[in-house]
Amino acid sequence: MATTDNEVKELIKREYEHGFVTEIESDTFEPGLNEDVIRRLSEIKQEPEFMLEWRLKAYRRWLEMDEPEWAHVDFPKVDYNAISYYSAPKKKEDMPQSLDDVDPELLRTYEKLGIPLHERAKLAGVAVDAVFDSVSVATTFKEPLEKAGVIFCPISEAVQKYPELVKKYLGSVVPAGDNYFAALNSAVFSDGSFVYIPKGVRCPMELSTYFRINAANTGQFERTLIIAEEGSYVSYLEGCTAPMRDENQLHAAVVELVALDDAQIKYSTVQNWYPGDENGKGGIYNFVTKRGACIGKNSKISWTQVETGSAITWKYPSCVLRGENSVGEFYSVALTHNYQQADTGTKMIHLGKNTKSTIISKGISAGRSSNAYRGLVKFGPGAEGARNFTQCDSLLIGDRCGAHTFPYIESKNKSAIVEHEATTSKVSDEQMFLCRQRGIDPEQAVSMIVNGFCKEVFKELPMEFAVEAGKLLEVSLEGSVG
Amino acid sequence: MKSVPTLSSAFLHPAGQSLPEPLLALRKQRASALVDMPLPTRKTENWKYSSKYLKLADDMAISLPAEGKGGNSLAVPGYKVVFNNGVMIPEASEYPDLNGIIIQSFSDLDEDDAKAVSLQLGSTLDHDQAQFARVNGARFEDGLFIRLAPGAVLDQPLFVIHETTADASGSAYPRIYVEAGANSQMTLVEEYISSGDASALVNTVTEFNLADGANITSIRLNMEGENVQHIGATGVLQQRSSRFESHCVGFGGPLRRHDLQVRLEGEGAETKLNGVVVTQGKQHYDNHTSIDHVAAHCNSEETYRNIAADQSHAIFNGRIHIHQDAQKSNADMNNKNLLLSNGAEIDTKPELEIYADDVKCAHGATIGQLDETSVFYLVSRGIGRRQANVLLTMAFINELVQQIPVEAVRETAQARLNDFFEQTFQEA
Repeated sequence: MATTDNEVKELIKREYEHGFVTEIESDTFEPGLNEDVIRRLSEIKQEPEFMLEWRLKAYRRWLEMDEPEWAHVDFPKVDYNAISYYSAPKKKEDMPQSLDDVDPELLRTYEKLGIPLHERAKLAGVAVDAVFDSVSVATTFKEPLEKAGVIFCPISEAVQKYPELVKKYLGSVVPAGDNYFAALNSAVFSDGSFVYIPKGVRCPMELSTYFRINAANTGQFERTLIIAEEGSYVSYLEGCTAPMRDENQLHAAVVELVALDDAQIKYSTVQNWYPGDENGKGGIYNFVTKRGACIGKNSKISWTQVETGSAITWKYPSCVLRGENSVGEFYSVALTHNYQQADTGTKMIHLGKNTKSTIISKGISAGRSSNAYRGLVKFGPGAEGARNFTQCDSLLIGDRCGAHTFPYIESKNKSAIVEHEATTSKVSDEQMFLCRQRGIDPEQAVSMIVNGFCKEVFKELPMEFAVEAGKLLEVSLEGSVG
Repeated sequence: MKSVPTLSSAFLHPAGQSLPEPLLALRKQRASALVDMPLPTRKTENWKYSSKYLKLADDMAISLPAEGKGGNSLAVPGYKVVFNNGVMIPEASEYPDLNGIIIQSFSDLDEDDAKAVSLQLGSTLDHDQAQFARVNGARFEDGLFIRLAPGAVLDQPLFVIHETTADASGSAYPRIYVEAGANSQMTLVEEYISSGDASALVNTVTEFNLADGANITSIRLNMEGENVQHIGATGVLQQRSSRFESHCVGFGGPLRRHDLQVRLEGEGAETKLNGVVVTQGKQHYDNHTSIDHVAAHCNSEETYRNIAADQSHAIFNGRIHIHQDAQKSNADMNNKNLLLSNGAEIDTKPELEIYADDVKCAHGATIGQLDETSVFYLVSRGIGRRQANVLLTMAFINELVQQIPVEAVRETAQARLNDFFEQTFQEA
């Protein structure tokens, strides 16, 4: 027991350093969801009264809602009372003790992705010792951020330290009753990131959740809130290319972005949760609500996503373009293999004058997977001179997969112009022949062709990410040819 | 669950008992399936944009009486069948008695044919997508049956004039079933017109069943009045190497809905769907098309253009579904829209659903206004601004109008379009 005590102490100490003390009453809640669970959750997190109220209100809304069924995906019903809505950070004994205990398959993947040794351990969920402690990494990053006045902390910390900011913006973009999963998230969200960029500040570095202290165990209901004040700029990276070990099946995250006058937010995601095995068993359900509001003039929000993981992805990063001349962008690569299902796309809601949006979506389906683009481009009556360009291309690898496009286009303003294009094709025999003839093996050839297909999106990713993303596709496509 | 509005039971009682027994039986059976049929709401995906225009009062459930007027002796360059309120008027109809071609009203079918038809009716349609075809199935009072023997060719277009006379509120349920034998050919022109000004519902179903190598051209002109809500469905089933061509020209109304469903079931089948819709005032028009590539080596080509002026609302929803074994399919869908006023709304949704890898599929959709520089170009050459607008708007749809293969229809459409431009571009 002595070691356990030490661990607990260490844990408490670590959190204390960042001004966050929790009395952990129990490790994990009993499965089930009711108002008491939410009250307990809120209490453990020492949240102010308004947060609890907000959660309860969301919960009551959620009870009245029906689970949506319109998406082009197929999965057994989720039993929401079989889920535990809080679990304390894992004890080290429960984790694999060293890399030797980790599934060799996983390690091979890391190797192919070129992930540094010490990071592999962390990703595989191995109890890492202090040499590579995220705390130390975090502190080196914290200093320049603090200097610039940027707030970057867990959202549970923000609720206590900056309640007025949280109160003002939380739920302002994705209201608690927005949709079924957003309501559920609002009621029980576990943790997530909070970013505040003050007026005129250009965030000195790419903010990444990968290196963040609370990256581990943010739980299945993550909540992110990013606020960019007038004239500021921030680039935020989420996820990582390595497959993450995770026991939770259902993930319902909410991400809210707020951009004021002349502010710019760039949000990049690489998602590679466990997709299930080649027979479609297991895998993560990823039901995410992501939305950004361009409230201010000349503001800009840009979403870039590379989605290769999860058994089911259900995600529509959107932009509400309210401010004059605001810009929304969406670049996406979604790859599905085996029995994966993805229904993803974006919404561009044009409300302000001269708002512009670009949508580039690349879907790649292989094996027996199904990959759908679902998008909405909407021009309100006030969207004078608004403009949208949409291109969604699908690439099919194998004759048992599906690729679908469901674009909704609605226009109420005559001066608004929208163009939508979609194509579907396969890796052509000519392309393959050309590569083979030059001595490139089929697998590599497909990966080259696919990389070329996705180039437009990859060039929007931060550099290191783009390189990893390319490799990721390669790994994900393994076994799809020949 | 909130309660969903259902079809009023007033709609469950068909009139007209002159049909042959097998068809009466079919109608009865379909009517029992209509009990508590949910009406579309904003949440019904395929009626999302249109449900608010659907206004069914109980008095509209009454069947409009067929009047043996046969009055409008429209001269047509071809054969003619006239329907009034969904019932065929033989006196007004002129069609030939050709070898190998049967053109008959449902009421005149003998027992055997009626039985055969009753087994076929509705087989070309997906009723879950075209819900109101169910209502027609329970309510039709008459219909037109056309059978082309293998190799039969109808030498002139057959005009079917569907006239709705709405002196009092009520509804009509016109129905056509075409059975085209191998390598047969015909051109069918459907014209929907109306008189009277009581609120009415016209609920139509037209079906084409094409055997190997059949070649059918279908033209559909919707020109009913402001009092008529029109919900129509067309189903097409195509076998090997058959060819189907459709030209729809629609003028808006309080509610206009057309579902066009094509299933390519035989290899080498080809289909081409063209459509033009113009709406003005507070009018509405909703086109839903779907093309199912079930067999390999099929081609489909679809072009729809919408123009919405004033406070009107035009909707296009095109769906291409490539089934798993439909390799080497070619599908192309194109939808362009012109929004002429800020009060108007255009919604479009070109969908692709693809389960085969060796296919070429593309779709494109645009919404925009008249190009200012083009207008300027014309104006700078001495053409009045109004005339320039008319010219450019006409040019937007002319490509499709000119493709209509029957000159008389082209002229009718053109004349109605000119009226539309006249009213839309008044001053400025």
